[in-house]
Amino acid sequence: MDFRFNIVGDYLPLFLRGTLYTIGFSIASIIIGSLLGLAIGFGRMAKNPVARWPFVAYINFLRGTPLYVQILMVHFGVVPFFYGSTNALISGVVALSLNSAAYSAEIFRAGIQSIDPGQREAALSLGMTGRQTMRFVILPQAIKRMVPAFGNEFIVLVKDSSLLALIAAPEIMYWGNTMKGQYMRIWEPYLTAAVIYFVLTYLLNKLLAYIERRM
Amino acid sequence: MKGTNKWIMSALIAILVLALAGCGSDNSSSGSGGDGEVIKFASDATYAPMEYMDKDTIKGFDIDFIAAVAEEAGIKYEVVNTGWDTMLESVKQGTEYKAGLSSVSITDDRKQTYDFSVPYFESTNMIMVKEGSDIKSALDLKDKKVAVQTATTADELMSGIMGVGNTDLKRFDSNAVAMMELDNGGADAVVADIAIVREYIKNNPKMKLVGITDKENFGSEYYGILYPKGSDLKAKLDPAIKKIIENGKYEEIYKKWFGEAPDLTNLKNAQ
Repeated sequence: MDFRFNIVGDYLPLFLRGTLYTIGFSIASIIIGSLLGLAIGFGRMAKNPVARWPFVAYINFLRGTPLYVQILMVHFGVVPFFYGSTNALISGVVALSLNSAAYSAEIFRAGIQSIDPGQREAALSLGMTGRQTMRFVILPQAIKRMVPAFGNEFIVLVKDSSLLALIAAPEIMYWGNTMKGQYMRIWEPYLTAAVIYFVLTYLLNKLLAYIERRM
Repeated sequence: MKGTNKWIMSALIAILVLALAGCGSDNSSSGSGGDGEVIKFASDATYAPMEYMDKDTIKGFDIDFIAAVAEEAGIKYEVVNTGWDTMLESVKQGTEYKAGLSSVSITDDRKQTYDFSVPYFESTNMIMVKEGSDIKSALDLKDKKVAVQTATTADELMSGIMGVGNTDLKRFDSNAVAMMELDNGGADAVVADIAIVREYIKNNPKMKLVGITDKENFGSEYYGILYPKGSDLKAKLDPAIKKIIENGKYEEIYKKWFGEAPDLTNLKNAQ
């Protein structure tokens, strides 16, 4: 196979700039998505079925539709409605965060519900309030169990951010497409993008393994 | 017990792989055989009115054009909607698809990887803006937000004017999405092939759009059929292309799709 390294070299600065955007999109969406997911996860565990319903619907909808469609809906529907015009950077963070929140919510719920009810009973019988029980007894144990699931979610999110090329957000895949357009060659851009994503997720994996060991 | 499971799993995977391999070889062998070999053209049929899907059939100017060419050259053919990337790669390999037919403009960068037929269509890029815009020419776009389709000559031209790395130049997967970006205020203009822009303006009268031509900055460009390097199909089809342009068949097809007779002077000169 003839692989033209010189055109990869030409595009490397743009790929690196795209990598910064990908990292930015990922970090912002991981943070916002997790916070949102925590809130939705608690809503999902509400005792009252009526109060629970909107959260269940949110999770089902965001997990049951393709991210591809969600990005288009956010970019051409939600963001223009609130912001006045489309904006790929806002759309990117919003779409990824909303999507990630649905998965995070389920991770939080599963993690919290995996803690033996006896822990809660014991804490309550020691005179702790419900809130204190959650904060000092349940959550510290649950979070430890959630780490691998979260690691998985984060890695999926980094790779899924490549779908933002759809709305011309200038991340890694976008520059890959641009390069493909100029030279009408597909292996150079796609393999370069794949290598960069691999390095990113590999480093993230290492970081997560370190955190898991330390906990 | 564990050992047995492993064996069963391996066997299942092996069967799956073999089944898939079988499917693959089935596909590539169909169509070949003897004199009546069917030549398969790959196309990205998302480019109305040049080539597009009408339900499950492929239609458009290019499709009628190749029908006339094939008749003239006496070949059996088939056009398959494969999408852009598959077209590029499979035509380069030239095993299943012997050619690409998808309004591909002939450029020097592309000639490094592919052979092209003689030019068969003259086109130029057009700027599409909303009514009342102060944009009058391509140079007015320099500090504006411009949406284009990736891998088109519009992308190339605007990259030249605005800079490849300029993020105000937004590249989308399809012209349809680029036009949505204009509609939603994310772009001040769309640049695309003239036929595409005219078709879009015609189909969306409510959006109050205007098309601007700029002969100075957007020169003529010519579509060609895409061949793998060293293809012998070129020698077969080039005379047929010239023939149908001479005998009026081309003009007939052109009128059918664009409602007017083509000015063939530039095209003939380019050949």
